[in-house]
Amino acid sequence: MIRALRQLVVVLGLALLPALVSGAIQLQWNAVTPVSRDEVTLATVHHWGDHVLWVDARSRAKYEKAHIPDAVLLNEDEWNSLVHTFLDAWDPDVPVVVYCDGGSCDASHAIAERLRTEFKIEKVFVLKGGWEAWPGK
Amino acid sequence: MAGKVVLFLVRLAVAGVFLYAGVVKIWDFRHGHSATPDFTVAIQHYRLLPSPDLAVLLAVYLPWLEVTAALALFVRRVALGAATAAAGMTAVFLIAVGSAWARGLDISCGCFGKNEVPINYPTLVSRDAVLLGATLVLLVAEARRGNKQIS
Repeated sequence: MIRALRQLVVVLGLALLPALVSGAIQLQWNAVTPVSRDEVTLATVHHWGDHVLWVDARSRAKYEKAHIPDAVLLNEDEWNSLVHTFLDAWDPDVPVVVYCDGGSCDASHAIAERLRTEFKIEKVFVLKGGWEAWPGK
Repeated sequence: MAGKVVLFLVRLAVAGVFLYAGVVKIWDFRHGHSATPDFTVAIQHYRLLPSPDLAVLLAVYLPWLEVTAALALFVRRVALGAATAAAGMTAVFLIAVGSAWARGLDISCGCFGKNEVPINYPTLVSRDAVLLGATLVLLVAEARRGNKQIS
């Protein structure tokens, strides 16, 4: 038992070293680049005066349950039928912000990439934190 | 002899799972950036920690602990400690997932980095239970090996 605890402390300590280095590096990075390339935080969107076109990349069921006000539904499953609604709502002068469930979903990145490649829309961003980041959901 | 082979395979499987789980939580290879922010959000989705800062600390430390435990399973001097850490982590994962299931949370697991679908709770609990069993096998085997050396 004591031997197990002693070895456990060694393992915990060994893991602490790279974690501290990694944490320090990331703290430095985050000071310069708070989010990755194509992502925006909710604070940034507010800073834009909320003049954005929200795109909900989740499933229809989740969209119908609740969504960001005025968001248009556009997901991979129903791309062909929904993309016309998106194009009707799209204004080239207004940034598009796509969101999906939360930090561990990829649908928003996939939709943003399709909008960039298929329609050459440049001002497409992904909401950091997704739907989970939206207050009062 | 057969027992040793089985034990080696169990060790290899457990180490493989922890090594992979740790590495993809450190670096998001698909998007080419740190996976810590996404793992932090995944931890927060469980709504078990009182502060977001704790989630960040855990998101930085836990993947390295997984990697270290995986590698240490092959180092005789600390293999018992590594098996203890692996069993402890798996037990904590199981409790966290069970708690999320009980509260009906519709979240992604966060177990193997980003790009995951919402949790299929029965599957995940079964998977974690198997992993816990495997880590306990290693724990018992290492404890016995140590006792033999002492006696």
